[in-house]
Amino acid sequence: MASEMQNSNPTILNAADLPTRLQPARSHKLGIFGNGLFASALPSVDASGFLLGGFTSSSESESDDDLLEEPIDEQEIYDLVSTISDPEHPISLGALAVVSLPDISITPTLPYVPASPLRTVTVLITPTITHCSLATVIGLGVRVRLEQSLPPRFRVDVRIKEGTHSTADEVNKQLADKERVAAALENGTLMGVIAKMLETCL
Amino acid sequence: MSALQTFLLVVDHDKQEAKQIAERIAQDVETKKTTLIEVVQSLGEYINDEDPILRGKAVSYLTAVIKSLPPRFLSRQQIQVLTTFFCDRIEDGGAVAGLDTLQKLDRFSRALAGEVAQAIFERFQDLQSRSQSQRFQVYQLLNELMINHRSALHNMGDHSMVGIVDLMTGEKDPRNLMLVFSILKVVMVEWDISDHAELLFDSVYNYFPITFRPPPNDPYGITAQDLKDRLQECISSTSLFAPHSIPSLLDKLDSTSPNVKKDALNALIACINSYDPDTVSRYSITIWDALKFEVLNAQEELLSELSLQALQDIAKRLSEGVTRVSDQLPLAQYMRPITRECNDQLQEPQQKQAKPAQQILGFISAASVASFMLSVQAVVAPLLTVYQEADGIAKQRALLDTLVVLFDSAIKIFGEWTTRTPETNTANPLLEFKDQFSDIFGQALMGVIKEEVSFRVSALRGFLRLSTLRHFFQDNEVGLFVQYLDEILLKEESVGRDDLKKEAITALTEISKHKPKLIMDITFPAFVATLPDFDDGTNSNYLSTLESLAQISVEKDIFETLVRRLLSKLNVLLQKEQPGSVAYPRAILVTILYVMSQRKMDQDPNVELYYDKIVVSLCRNAAVSASGKANNNILKDATVLDTLGRLCNLIVRALPRNKQDEVAESIYTLYSSADDFSPVPFSQSASDDQQRAMIISTYLLAGLPTDCANLPHTSPNMSALLFDVVKRSTTKCAPATHLALLRHLALLVNKFLPKSDLSLATELFATLLPSSLEGKKLSPESIKTLFWLSKALVLRLAPKTADLLTSLLSLLSSPDEVTSTTAARSFAILLGDDDVLSATNGANIRLLSKQRVFTTLVPLISSKIREVNVAGSEFPTTEHIKPAYLTALSGILSTIPPYLVMPELPTILPLLLQSLDLQTSDSQPVRTATLETLAVIIRDTGVGVIEECGHIQSLVTRLLKTTEHKPASDKAASANGPRLRVDALKCLFLLAQTPASDAPAVAKAGKLSPLLPVKAQVVRSLGFVLDDPKRDVRKAAVDARGAWLRGVDDAPDDDE
Repeated sequence: MASEMQNSNPTILNAADLPTRLQPARSHKLGIFGNGLFASALPSVDASGFLLGGFTSSSESESDDDLLEEPIDEQEIYDLVSTISDPEHPISLGALAVVSLPDISITPTLPYVPASPLRTVTVLITPTITHCSLATVIGLGVRVRLEQSLPPRFRVDVRIKEGTHSTADEVNKQLADKERVAAALENGTLMGVIAKMLETCL
Repeated sequence: MSALQTFLLVVDHDKQEAKQIAERIAQDVETKKTTLIEVVQSLGEYINDEDPILRGKAVSYLTAVIKSLPPRFLSRQQIQVLTTFFCDRIEDGGAVAGLDTLQKLDRFSRALAGEVAQAIFERFQDLQSRSQSQRFQVYQLLNELMINHRSALHNMGDHSMVGIVDLMTGEKDPRNLMLVFSILKVVMVEWDISDHAELLFDSVYNYFPITFRPPPNDPYGITAQDLKDRLQECISSTSLFAPHSIPSLLDKLDSTSPNVKKDALNALIACINSYDPDTVSRYSITIWDALKFEVLNAQEELLSELSLQALQDIAKRLSEGVTRVSDQLPLAQYMRPITRECNDQLQEPQQKQAKPAQQILGFISAASVASFMLSVQAVVAPLLTVYQEADGIAKQRALLDTLVVLFDSAIKIFGEWTTRTPETNTANPLLEFKDQFSDIFGQALMGVIKEEVSFRVSALRGFLRLSTLRHFFQDNEVGLFVQYLDEILLKEESVGRDDLKKEAITALTEISKHKPKLIMDITFPAFVATLPDFDDGTNSNYLSTLESLAQISVEKDIFETLVRRLLSKLNVLLQKEQPGSVAYPRAILVTILYVMSQRKMDQDPNVELYYDKIVVSLCRNAAVSASGKANNNILKDATVLDTLGRLCNLIVRALPRNKQDEVAESIYTLYSSADDFSPVPFSQSASDDQQRAMIISTYLLAGLPTDCANLPHTSPNMSALLFDVVKRSTTKCAPATHLALLRHLALLVNKFLPKSDLSLATELFATLLPSSLEGKKLSPESIKTLFWLSKALVLRLAPKTADLLTSLLSLLSSPDEVTSTTAARSFAILLGDDDVLSATNGANIRLLSKQRVFTTLVPLISSKIREVNVAGSEFPTTEHIKPAYLTALSGILSTIPPYLVMPELPTILPLLLQSLDLQTSDSQPVRTATLETLAVIIRDTGVGVIEECGHIQSLVTRLLKTTEHKPASDKAASANGPRLRVDALKCLFLLAQTPASDAPAVAKAGKLSPLLPVKAQVVRSLGFVLDDPKRDVRKAAVDARGAWLRGVDDAPDDDE
């Protein structure tokens, strides 16, 4: 790796300000009886569960939820990639605003075949400085993460956001070229760097 | 043969006998049978021998004799002669030991000590070529001289100093170095070393950094840290080293090894704290220039922390004796470049390096009053300017955070309101900015749009610091803050994760410790005013108010007021005639229960008052309600009664003994007269409402001590009472009442039944269980009663425990499916933790009970399942039996600590795998419990054990099968619920994540991961799980797949 940092003092977003998925509203409501503050004072208010058998058979309430499908959305993609670490700093791509929620989109891959389950995920990357030579590595990292974490019906498209990098076209070409991506992933050193970036994704 | 000759012969192989010979001679010398001169003369022919070993032995002989003499025997002259003799022969073995013996004697003079030292320095020029143990002896002699005759060595001045340094130069053995370092430290501290500072410094600094690693099983137990500590003491021993030590240590910071940097920083800190302040001042700015980089571009957290510590320590040293702050102080000169750097970095406070700048500011300003004054003077005004000109909230927020860091330092220096330490005389320099702070933080907290949560949280934290800072705000100013907090909690809608509200409650709680009166005067009335007098169930806003009240009522006064107010609210509700929601009175009771459970009630002086107001009065009310004579149905509700019961239980436990006896008399009458309420036991016609009152009675009973007298219906024995309770618990009734009856029975049997009467309980058990094997068909109520009765007996390890368990197990083989399934599910009851029959309530729970149940049941279950497997499908009517046994097993496993399970793993693992095969939807609880057990096994023991049992492939296959999502068809619910799929994925994750820790790295190297054969299968299957409809499942699948891709290494390529 380059010994000198390319950008030693980037702007950092506050962790609390990053977009997150809010818990469904119902968990607030339960507050006092359920998982709220008083849970410790009242270990098992719902004692009737104990009577029915050893295990609280909550299968009924679960099967209600079961029917509710939760499709993969932009926030989920964001959660997958925002925890990747920057190769230069021990800071997440989310906090550095290298990836951001509005720059992620999911579209049908074949818009003219409505029934097709194929989807394309587009992630636009904003390097912290316009001449960052690590943009390719970051792009590759995001790509690897998504390919490991999304089902086969998803196509992954990672690009540099327009106007944020001096050699964006060149980098985009590298990231889009399947052969070159595959070749890069055979490179032990490069994979080492990427594995290090992905370590924080848990 | 002479004594000497015998000695020479045996000394090598029989130390004991050699010692005896020496002792004998010593005795002869003592009794004047022989003289010391003769002993020395007898050595004659040997001590001039050419063989050094023989010479050494001869000298040892003399040493051994001297050692055996009584300490005051030798005359001054004899000592002198002997010393000279030994000094002449100092290179021969034994002489050093002889000198060591001599120098311990009272008559050993200073002059002799000098002679010995001289001999050591002159004759041991070649010391480093001798063996470790010889060197050690010499150092030890020197060390003893240092301890006993230091002035003699000190008088030798430079001579002894150079002598010591020459002697030890080149020493490498850790044991010897420990001694050498401590000898040298004395020289450094006590000798005049001004001409030789560099020589001395180099003699120890050559060893820096220490890279010693003790060999495995090192018998001497010297660690690298021991050596580091001693070396560090030497380096930091005298200010005269500073010109050499500080530049050298700062140079070491360029090292690439974090360990070297860590040692250098630690040594630097030691130097800063030990050198005199003038010296520290001379190097302060040099050190800052070097450490700045370590903090601003921190690579390792620890290094940055140590650097900050060093910077702070310099400020502390330079503050020593400072009474008035001025620009000319060395402290001011040191801090100038630092505050300048911080100001520069904080111009753009949301950039990465602003964070370290904040840390520097925090550490420097917290060093002393003087450093705090200087920091405030240099930083606050510029920060406020940047704040006014800031173009965005993110920037402002970062600035607020910076100010909060300063406030933290202020608290460290000036204390909080509750701090007991004496106050500083100096005025807090922040007071100058008080109004500005109040405006800025007030505006930031209340004057921005509600969605800016994190900004407002920062403002709130700052305001809180200022409110608790001693002698800063006036009470009315803190009061304003309290009002803001009330407003946030009472009037504002929830935003996002409610971080602001959570912080607001924490802040109120914190303030209540410092200014309880403000909370009582402002917050309390405001909150209580929002509590409704009545609730019809449509609006539950009171919940959050009650939650807030409960959390801020930590202080005694506030707690008491809260309980009083809530009780009067509750009493109003109990008088109401219109039917309202029971949730509200219950919430009030829960709140009281919560605040009481947070306190030590047995030390509360008001506990008897609470007893009257809550236990006596509310129990009586409940009794009246049960008889149908109350205005409303609140106290007929099972959940209300349950909460009230818990509250009573808490209070009863805290009562003094005489009151507890009073409780005992009233557990069934509930403090009512016979006209108002007829007690349940032995009542022929108790209504459902009356039976429900047993909930309260059970909780009261649970709170009483084991040896409580006055318990009703217990003499001559409990037989009748037990019989009555069992009769009720085997009859169908409402679930809550039923549970209370079961617990009541268990409490009586476990806690109160005397050991001599245990047969009563076992007889009862026998009457409930039909003896014949055929047609075992029991009602679920009877089965529960059997299990709770067994629970009570098993926990106290009553005799016949094994028989009881075997009888319970036989229920599973019942041809009646309902009986079998109900019994199977009930096995979790046996050892499950219960709120009522608990250690807190003084239940009789023996330590070995869990182990006993486990070791009794598991072999039985295991053999039964094998039996069923063999019998196969010959008996189609008994298909439910195998699942029943597996259910029972999982019920027990879920209540057993994992360390009990591990030894039985080879038996249990196949059973667990079989329960994963139950791919039906009603087997989900069983499989969930199984997966939880598996997860613990995998986490604690790693893959190794499972591999040894040879089950990796079968385990992985079953886990993968459980992760599959099959869309629910029309009638059957899906076999694998989301929770089950997540649990299975978690097991897969743990499999790949947990390293096989037992195998040392070396042995593991060449060996392939046992998971490798299934890796491709797992990665492929999980690829499909990534498309699961549930988000939680997908998340678990991502983690599991990542772990397998990362953690399971492929076979190395063979293309070498």
